[in-house]
Amino acid sequence: MKLDPKRALMTLAAPVLALLIAVVLTSLVLFALGDPVRDVWITMLSAPKPRQITNIVNGAIVLYLSAIAVAVGFRMNLFNIGVDGQYRVAAFAAAIFAGQGWLPGFLNIIVAILIAMLAGGLWASIAAYLKVKRGVSEVISTIMLNAIATGVVAWLLNKVAVKVKGSNATNTQEIPESSQLEGFKLIPGANNRIYTLLILAIIVGFLYWFILGKTRFGFDLRATGRSETAAVASGVKVPRMVMTSMIASGALAGLVGMPLLFGLDHSYGTTFQAGLGFAGIGIALLGRNHPVGIALAALLWSYLDTQSNALQIRAGVAPELVNIIQGIILFAIVIAYELVRRADIRLEQSKVAKELAAQRAVRTPEGAQA
Amino acid sequence: MAGITKRFPGVVANKDIAFKVRRGTVHALCGENGAGKSTLMKILYGVQRPDEGTITIEGNRVDLHSPADAIKVGIGMVFQHFMLADNLTVLENVVLGAEKLHGIGGAARTEIKRISKEYGLRVNPDDLVADLGVGDRQRVEILKVLYRGARILILDEPTAVLVPQEVEELFGNLRELKAEGLTVLFISHKLDEVLSVADDITVIRRGTTVATVDPKTVNARQLAELMVGSELPTPETAESTVTDRIVMRLTDITLAGGEGRNLLTDVDLDIHAGEVVGIAGVEGNGQAELVEVIMGMREPTAGRVFLGDTDISDWGVREIREAGVGYIPEDRHRHGLLLEAPLWENRILGHQTEAPNVKGQLIDAKAAKADTERIVKEYDVRTPSIFVTAGSLSGGNQQKLIVGREMSHNPKVLVASHPTRGVDVGAQSSIWDLIRKARHEGLGVLLISADLEELIGLSDTIKVILRGRLTGEFDPDHVTSQDLGAAMTGADGSHDEHPSDTTGAAR
Amino acid sequence: MRPLLKVAAALSVGTMALAGCGSSTSTESSSSAAGSGSASASSSESTSAAPAGDSKLMVGIAYDVGGRGDQSFNDAAAAGLDKAAGEFGFKPQEATAVNDENDAAREERLNQLVDAGFTHIIAVGYAYAGSVGKVAKENPDVHFAIIDDDSDDSKGDNVAQLTFAENEGSFLVGAAAALKSKAGHIGFVGGVNVQLINKFEAGYVAGAKAVNPDIKIESTYLTQPPDMSGFGDPAKGETAADGMFQKGADIVYHAAGGSGGGVFAAAKKAKGWAIGVDKDQALIAEPDVRDVILTSMLKKLDVAVYEYLKAAQGGEEKSGKIVYDLKAGGVDYATTGGHIDDIKPKLDEYKAKIVSGEIKVPDEM
Repeated sequence: MKLDPKRALMTLAAPVLALLIAVVLTSLVLFALGDPVRDVWITMLSAPKPRQITNIVNGAIVLYLSAIAVAVGFRMNLFNIGVDGQYRVAAFAAAIFAGQGWLPGFLNIIVAILIAMLAGGLWASIAAYLKVKRGVSEVISTIMLNAIATGVVAWLLNKVAVKVKGSNATNTQEIPESSQLEGFKLIPGANNRIYTLLILAIIVGFLYWFILGKTRFGFDLRATGRSETAAVASGVKVPRMVMTSMIASGALAGLVGMPLLFGLDHSYGTTFQAGLGFAGIGIALLGRNHPVGIALAALLWSYLDTQSNALQIRAGVAPELVNIIQGIILFAIVIAYELVRRADIRLEQSKVAKELAAQRAVRTPEGAQA
Repeated sequence: MAGITKRFPGVVANKDIAFKVRRGTVHALCGENGAGKSTLMKILYGVQRPDEGTITIEGNRVDLHSPADAIKVGIGMVFQHFMLADNLTVLENVVLGAEKLHGIGGAARTEIKRISKEYGLRVNPDDLVADLGVGDRQRVEILKVLYRGARILILDEPTAVLVPQEVEELFGNLRELKAEGLTVLFISHKLDEVLSVADDITVIRRGTTVATVDPKTVNARQLAELMVGSELPTPETAESTVTDRIVMRLTDITLAGGEGRNLLTDVDLDIHAGEVVGIAGVEGNGQAELVEVIMGMREPTAGRVFLGDTDISDWGVREIREAGVGYIPEDRHRHGLLLEAPLWENRILGHQTEAPNVKGQLIDAKAAKADTERIVKEYDVRTPSIFVTAGSLSGGNQQKLIVGREMSHNPKVLVASHPTRGVDVGAQSSIWDLIRKARHEGLGVLLISADLEELIGLSDTIKVILRGRLTGEFDPDHVTSQDLGAAMTGADGSHDEHPSDTTGAAR
Repeated sequence: MRPLLKVAAALSVGTMALAGCGSSTSTESSSSAAGSGSASASSSESTSAAPAGDSKLMVGIAYDVGGRGDQSFNDAAAAGLDKAAGEFGFKPQEATAVNDENDAAREERLNQLVDAGFTHIIAVGYAYAGSVGKVAKENPDVHFAIIDDDSDDSKGDNVAQLTFAENEGSFLVGAAAALKSKAGHIGFVGGVNVQLINKFEAGYVAGAKAVNPDIKIESTYLTQPPDMSGFGDPAKGETAADGMFQKGADIVYHAAGGSGGGVFAAAKKAKGWAIGVDKDQALIAEPDVRDVILTSMLKKLDVAVYEYLKAAQGGEEKSGKIVYDLKAGGVDYATTGGHIDDIKPKLDEYKAKIVSGEIKVPDEM
């Protein structure tokens, strides 16, 4: 029952189907607008150069962290739209701390990461508190908090920004060189490097899998996500659970900006990447909240992002096209997963009925009906 | 209907259903819970499509794809759970979705009044539904389908929510409808009702039609035997095992509800080791709340709950369950199981902190799986494996899993809420056996049930709950269903606030 | 429990939020894609090989978010490019930034242009500072120009850092506003609250105060970074300017890119004046609002781009800091419409003082 090939096939079928639908619909859009369909796909599907592979992996690391943060909420049926605001608040806080260089090299990084988790968790705890105490939907409150995060961070950034001669960018104090992470040279032939904090993503992925799958806490969390009423009756204190998981989600969101901070930008500023939280929602969905699934989804997402860069140059099509492709994939995947889920249930029910009928025939002709 | 077959995944299938309904009659369809009545109804109403078989109305074969199709050929359905919007008036509820028929204004009002008068439904179009009692609401539902032009009415367990007086009234309405040439398909498993109102009775057992009989020629016993297929299992308990040791004591439990009315008032209750205390009552009189207070899901406004000598009033659900209170919830889908999780995870549910499920903070999947296998075997849970989802099992097997799970943690008290609701006969008798066994082993059992026979058969003491108060105590050896029924509705005078106003207490 | 349905519902909310951040820019870039579509599509076949043309120059340009068609900053750069392309006969390749990208993506864009064989790459906007610095170092044979940054990040032997004294130009239009204001009350609308736009505000305020130390100045920014929609949201611009006119201001200067259209509309409604930015907007704004544009602060990106390419065409590779200030004619004010002809002598007096260094214009608030 665990490794039923038919079901495994169906599990795989959903994302593949969604991708195909996305390709067909995007082609139709391109065709309708008179854009070169063939060139677009040749560009999108061309083999990435080593440099681009590095970029794809790096992009995926950041997206992975974001998606895991979202997935923690999902498993509990909580919708943390606020990862976007949470990671920006967190990255800002960590950048300020790390920029001071109070601590030597590596220690500085560790503490800054902890500060990021704390900041992200605190920011998320506002939404958690509102949900538990005031019954405010986390969807609404986290969206609001994203906007507030934008304002608060911009305001604080202007206060603490360091004036760099000749630059129009607004940035926090650059973190000392001893705390900048150079990265790994993993991809042969590429002169750019994979973020050192790939390690962080791997640890987070493992802990996510372990805590949710193997611990009492994880069981309670998943039970609450599957049926809040049953969880309550089983003794789960749901409000506390909401609080904990929302803060955990926020703390994980706090990690999203860390690879960028220590491996790319070395400071937080106006050009720091935004919007990662929203991408995380899609990737968590695509990866079905599974640590490995999310990794694959993050790679796919990052692949599309990276390949899109060449669209305008090589196919004369605006790179925003990729947003359309990603959007269609998401909608297709939501539909495909729901269809597969229903088919799955039907398949299992009829299978159970069939096996029981067979059993009954063997055992007693007059057994109780199942 | 001829040869209707519906393979309904996993649970109950309809197989070769065949019966004829004469125009202008009340035709009862009866069968045990889970016999396939609901599926059949859904097919008749176009919600589900049969895999095989045909439905013929007045000589024309019909193909029902949706409830809209059904209403077009004159089939109307009155659901057990009313589908009315509380904050709208009767008129608004009736025209909702049928605005094209007579508009939403004066014409519609006239039509409603006409139907109401013609069939003696006594419905006032301008009443707010929120102000209506259960019986009134049901008449609004009936009027709703008549308004849409139904000539064949399907009533799904219409009496389940009614008190006896209202049942009589409903039957009066049905006779009225019959007299006007309408056809009523009446679905029930309450035999005395079926016998008193039906012109024909079709019995369904395990998804197929067993016989169509004339109510004048059968008695309740014969009908019941047709329904269950063999001699009736009776929930008789043997000699008393009641001891003096109190395992659970409730003192003056009061639970305030909204609108100044108490959901529970001064409930005092002792459960002794080896005793089954039955709670009888019309649904919605505080049973669910009583269970929630005991299980720690609600904090009582006043009063204490003791488990042995320990005051557990302020404890959480988990502590209470750990301390040895087993719980068979009323609605196992909502409160007892994770339908999308495999059986072995469901075996952990409710006992997330107890061996063999966990080791420290970690889930011990291996031990939990092994123990699930044991439960499946010992409690006769019919499943191909412990890795299938709980939702794919039939109701009876789900319930056996729950009972097995609860009994595996050596409870001192078992709170069983409608333990055999919606389970098949085989599972029912094995669950009764399990409760008897628990009692024999010295557990205190609180049994809440709507099935009076079950209560009388299993309980050592029966208490009646009415509007949140325990209003009477009966010895099951010397009480009849009729006595209990009277006490449940306050008709015995034991509770004299508003003896006739029983609808107010029903939700 | 149907988590997926909930997901779908909230996703649409999420997308709406996303759209809220970037709707204006994305519409612009799609229009820009349409506008430049034919050009780049025709050149797309040749880009993988060598761009055809009389000139040996192979020019690639990387725009900031919004790209060609933003009627402002990017368009100004595009105008210089077009002029050079027409004159010297080369076919440029354009690429545009997308919302919410990081430095790695910008780097990749420049690398793509390098890969495609372009010898002269112009990066429009300070966001490219870090990426230009890196890519230029890795490709010493390729020549780069960056606009609006002369920090060490983008420094290199093969990098020309083109910057402007926006504060000086803004000083002049600030003075013009103060001279023209009957109410003694003027306004400033900045697109996004970033340092670069603060520079506009600082110059504008200094210019106005130089004329009338008691003048009342309203000042606001449409969005806060990283929300860059303030550069492309006319509705926001109109709301902000409306407020200022209602409070009694009679002239509003905008440094808000595409949002400026809203400022003009508000001025028209209030029968006040607006001051344009970057280009001579009295010539290129929507026809029905041109008459309310008192003047425009000219930031001659087109001149900078053109001159850079002209030098390259002539064999001279510019590099290092190149400042386009008032003295160099890189910033100025527009006189289209003749609305400020009466105060021109006064403005030119200020201009001379700035050029001579007698007036030092602050570059931050």
